[in-house]
Amino acid sequence: MEAKYTEEVYPKAPDDARTADCEQISNLLDLMIDGEASPEEQRFFNHHIEECISCFENHQKQKLLKGLVTGHLKRVIVPQSLVHSIKAKIQETL
Amino acid sequence: MSEQTGKQLSKEEKDARFEAELLPVLDPLYNFAYRLTLDEDDANDLVQETYLKAYRFFDYFEQGTNAKAWLFRILKNSFINEFRKKSKQPAKVDYSEVEGYYNSEDVEGESGVASTTDMRTESVQDLIGDEVASALNALPVDFRTVIILCDLEGFTYEEMAKILDIPIGTVRSRLHRARNSLKEKLEKYAKSMGYNN
Repeated sequence: MEAKYTEEVYPKAPDDARTADCEQISNLLDLMIDGEASPEEQRFFNHHIEECISCFENHQKQKLLKGLVTGHLKRVIVPQSLVHSIKAKIQETL
Repeated sequence: MSEQTGKQLSKEEKDARFEAELLPVLDPLYNFAYRLTLDEDDANDLVQETYLKAYRFFDYFEQGTNAKAWLFRILKNSFINEFRKKSKQPAKVDYSEVEGYYNSEDVEGESGVASTTDMRTESVQDLIGDEVASALNALPVDFRTVIILCDLEGFTYEEMAKILDIPIGTVRSRLHRARNSLKEKLEKYAKSMGYNN
């Protein structure tokens, strides 16, 4: 049940709702949620989402997605014997 | 700029520094190995191999530089070069199976009148975590890798580029595609559970 790679997964917003700015904003989404945007990019982004509800919502969704991984993915517990195995292995291969 | 460049460390110095600087990364490193291999034994082997290599090449490690990124890079290279061939294929996730499990949980929850809200909240948290893990595990390993490095381990794009040996532009585009793919899988699941947003 592999997902098919179609050009558009989601229905497109009407053309008049998508400005050139929105296109730029969507390219900045990952940079913003990962803290990698420059100060100018941040200013441009924050100013735009104050006025554009669709980009504001996309930003919320992207933050939520990152939060699901950061906040909900469980960490596995390191087996207690592993440190010992590592040290033993190092000593025996010296 | 490291002090030890050109000078051999004594075994005691080397062991002490290895323990102080590299062993503290064990937890994230094991988690990374587990998310790559999806198997505890394989993760164990991969981590041991990584530390063995790190010890052997410890003279090349510059004190005070990013030990975590250095170890992640070694582990990722070991995984690609040797491990991937022999490790098992990641299990494909069958959503209907997971869904069935949740439904049976629901039935139990409703029949047991005294189920506390605390228990419910906790199990909902668990379910979300399980679902995120399933969706993530179903992604191709390159996509899984960038999401783990970025969202779970908090590496910067620049560090990821070094770990993965790819340009920053490629990190960005891969992360973008990986997130779209993850989003698609989680949305599909949400719809199957009756959530439409």
